[in-house]
Amino acid sequence: MRGWGIAWRWLKRDLAAGELTVMAVALVVAIAAMSSVGFFTDRVHQALQTEANQLLAADLVLNADQPPAATLSEQAQQRGLQLARTATFPSMAQTAQGAQLITAKAVSSSYPLRGELRVWQGEREVRMPGPPKAGEAWADRRLFDALGLKPGDSLQLGERTLTLSAVLAREPDGAMDLYNFVPRLMFNEADLAATGLIQPGSRVRYRLLLAGEGEAVSAMRDALKPQLQRGQRLEDVREARPEINTSLNRAERFLRLAALISVFMAAAAIALAARRYVERHLDAVALLRTLGRSQNDIVQLFLRQYALLAVGSVLLGLLLGWLTQFALAAALASLFEARLPPAGPLPALAGAGVGLTLLFGFCLPPLLRLRGVSPLRVLRRDATPPGNAPLALGLGLASLAGLIFWQAGDTTLATLALAGMAGTVGVAALVAWGLVWISPKLPMLHSVGWRFGLANVARRRGLSVAQIVALSLGLMALMLLTVVRNDLLSAWDKSLPPEAPNRFVINIQPEQRSELAARFQAEGLAVPRFAPMVRARLNAIAGKPVKPDNYADERARRQAEREFNLSWGEDLRADNRIVTGKPLNDAEPGWSMEEGMAQRLGVKVGDTLTFDIAGTAYTAPVVSLRKVDWDSFRVNFFVVGSRVLLENQPASFVSSFHLPADKSSLGTALARQFPNLTVIDVSAILAEVRMVLDRVLAAIEVVFAFSLLAGIAVLYAATLATHDERKREAAILRTLGASRQTVRQAASAELLLVGGLAGLLAAGAALAIGAAASWQLFELSAGVSWWLLPAGLLLGALAARLAAAPLLNRLLNTPPLRALR
Amino acid sequence: MRATPDFLKEGSRTETAPILVASGLTRQVGFDHETLTILDDVSFQLAHGSTLAIVGASGSGKSTLLGLLAGLDTPSQGEVSVAGQSLNGLDEDGRARLRAESVGFVFQSFQLLPALSALDNVALPLELNGHKDARREAAALLERVGLASRLQHRPKELSGGEQQRVALARAFVTRPKLLFADEPTGNLDTQTGERIIELLFSLNAEAGTTLVLVTHDERLARRCGARLRLAAGKVIEREGV
Repeated sequence: MRGWGIAWRWLKRDLAAGELTVMAVALVVAIAAMSSVGFFTDRVHQALQTEANQLLAADLVLNADQPPAATLSEQAQQRGLQLARTATFPSMAQTAQGAQLITAKAVSSSYPLRGELRVWQGEREVRMPGPPKAGEAWADRRLFDALGLKPGDSLQLGERTLTLSAVLAREPDGAMDLYNFVPRLMFNEADLAATGLIQPGSRVRYRLLLAGEGEAVSAMRDALKPQLQRGQRLEDVREARPEINTSLNRAERFLRLAALISVFMAAAAIALAARRYVERHLDAVALLRTLGRSQNDIVQLFLRQYALLAVGSVLLGLLLGWLTQFALAAALASLFEARLPPAGPLPALAGAGVGLTLLFGFCLPPLLRLRGVSPLRVLRRDATPPGNAPLALGLGLASLAGLIFWQAGDTTLATLALAGMAGTVGVAALVAWGLVWISPKLPMLHSVGWRFGLANVARRRGLSVAQIVALSLGLMALMLLTVVRNDLLSAWDKSLPPEAPNRFVINIQPEQRSELAARFQAEGLAVPRFAPMVRARLNAIAGKPVKPDNYADERARRQAEREFNLSWGEDLRADNRIVTGKPLNDAEPGWSMEEGMAQRLGVKVGDTLTFDIAGTAYTAPVVSLRKVDWDSFRVNFFVVGSRVLLENQPASFVSSFHLPADKSSLGTALARQFPNLTVIDVSAILAEVRMVLDRVLAAIEVVFAFSLLAGIAVLYAATLATHDERKREAAILRTLGASRQTVRQAASAELLLVGGLAGLLAAGAALAIGAAASWQLFELSAGVSWWLLPAGLLLGALAARLAAAPLLNRLLNTPPLRALR
Repeated sequence: MRATPDFLKEGSRTETAPILVASGLTRQVGFDHETLTILDDVSFQLAHGSTLAIVGASGSGKSTLLGLLAGLDTPSQGEVSVAGQSLNGLDEDGRARLRAESVGFVFQSFQLLPALSALDNVALPLELNGHKDARREAAALLERVGLASRLQHRPKELSGGEQQRVALARAFVTRPKLLFADEPTGNLDTQTGERIIELLFSLNAEAGTTLVLVTHDERLARRCGARLRLAAGKVIEREGV
């Protein structure tokens, strides 16, 4: 049997006869689901990145302590990137009323490249098309309050007089300056030289802001990296801010999870469709065998058919996926301020690859069963070839595992997903077998239809197991998404509760604590915790001097250079978790370091750290590494020491607290009462972070809705799997005089039981995996949503019954004679 | 063969009205914008307890006629009455009820439910009728057809002859007034086929059932009291009917 010609003719004939419709539809739906999720998540991901980039005001930032060379700007322009410049430096703003320490920020007219500038007009935030014009400046409310200014007043900045034309409400990279403790004054860079403030030795931070198409930005990043000089570093959203980084990582993992779920569903749908196709071809194969065709001829014929089917399905699936993502993107347009970027070609390749792998991973074992078809089947239709369940299971799992690891790109996530799947398959199979044992002992219902249907689940034990497994996988995936999604939502809400601290106060002197506490009490506010802070420089790790040049990683170099803020007496709070080592002992000298910092600096538990505090060296071992939840917006320290080491060191105190909107003037009042204090308002930063998180959630909801559609396709395929047998059974029952009601009841009972059981199992598995995932991936211990168990039972039962409704009607309306022939 | 179960013996009937009446039965199917007549104006009557063989070559319309007579399909024209009840006036459920009460079937391909044991297959029509003692009566009839030791076996664990015996037991277990047999030996070897036919006629005689047998086997046809010969959907010869 040579060539593709025969395979093509068979394929055409099978397609025309509807024999391959189920498989083709399952495949197209699977590929469409996969690729549209792929295309869409790719675009959403890029958009999220752009949104998060608003916190940088750019896609890429070159941060430098000297003005970046003009050649860098030229390089960027050649690559078609947009440019903007900022220069930030501390200075004093002076008016007739007094002087105030400010952070001055000179910006080019093209600033910002991402995000927007907003100023207050009365109590309303208004978006501004560009930065202040030459001769003008915008200041935040703190400066207006501190100096008793109003818009239109002038102030002196160095040698230049600027008119305060607006109250600055929000600047996109404002959040970047979390530790910018002093009021902001923004002005146009055209005035910078005239201020005369830029002198040799001035502490100026220059930023070259770049933005453009993703590829051009990455190319620029790659080109800049080797050119970086001392004092220069690149920032992108991944490296810029720990809490933004965490949010993006979560979002990315979640989108990957959504894509993985489509993989599960595709696998279930295709496995079911392939099994049915082969079952329906046993007779034809037996005939071919009697006509003298070899086993290999037959397998080759079908393989070629599958290959042809795969090409068509992949093309159609990708087209459908591509069109679907347009519709999704159109629906989502309003959610994204930034235009969704076009999808890259990778999701198409991935979609095709996934489709092909699934097709062959799940179609090959049933196909190989055809090798075992005996020519005797021509005479005895019940001469069925032996099953190859171990091979099918093995190859299927191997394909899934490969796909999952590829798609997830994350061992933990992939392992969890696989373990969940294998567990569900195993438990589903066990429970289904258990049902076979229990069902004769179940109290028998009066109605013969129900009784017959329920007993059928046990009688068709192999099919029941297969159906339950397939259904429970699909349902588990959907429920997992529900459970994990809820966990994620509540985790984000928990990490950013409305009462999250919105003010930081630093530089509190020890004796001011009691006065501050009294002030809080007088205002009817809870007295916040005052954390001691000791300035220190890290001199040595495990006896070796710490030098920036020892580190390749830019962040590690920076950390080696700068001073640390040490604290003590910190209980291990909810947002700190010891990952290795033991808690600090007050009486024994020791340090506890944040694990990311430890990793960058190459510090392990047991290493000694030597800190120089006010000229004296203090050496003690690291007793623990901690994980810190930077999203909490609470005061946290990279290094905490034991009380005995730090208690008697000169310390100032730092605190964070939530100031309700109606008491917001307390911040300024505190600064007036305690002139040495610096009160930092982080509400604006919080608002920006929350806005980004809201966008992320909106994207996830859309992806979730799409996975739901894919789940329905699997459900239909699962129902089709038993349709042939049910059709024949219905015809025999009707011939024997059963009413349509009885046949309907029998089918319903079976579907409800199989669906309910699958739903129950899926709910159990989803709960288990969801709990494991939220702990492992998101570091949250989520409550167990027990309600999901009864809900799963109900959902599974109803879904199976509803999915079968059209098939059942067709089955009931077919005259028995036709079905029997 | 074992003793006849008691309930089969109650079956001798004395009704005089015909049990089966076919008048002007025609069945047409649409095919590529053409109408194909596969059964053309068939009429006959059958008395209680009689036996009729419908004979003819393959494609002559025998099985189509059987399907129409049993109410498994509906005619394009004409009418069928079973035990005085016109099938035309009944909907699908009504015809199913009539089948449950009065009609039994034996098929060439046995048509046993593969997931059910021999006992469950035979008990099924009784259970559908809400019969309390379904399994006991099914077991008795299976014993009668010589399968007492195979009650719990599934169809695929039985030989073709055994499967057809299960099918016979299932057909007779409801004590039908009318039994339709479609090439009951078509899937069996000669020897097994003959044994099945012996069993069929002996059960039929014991229960006094009216038998309509579709066959192309002339020898088998001659064992029936009446014969109807079809060719191209038309009756070309009738004998005793």
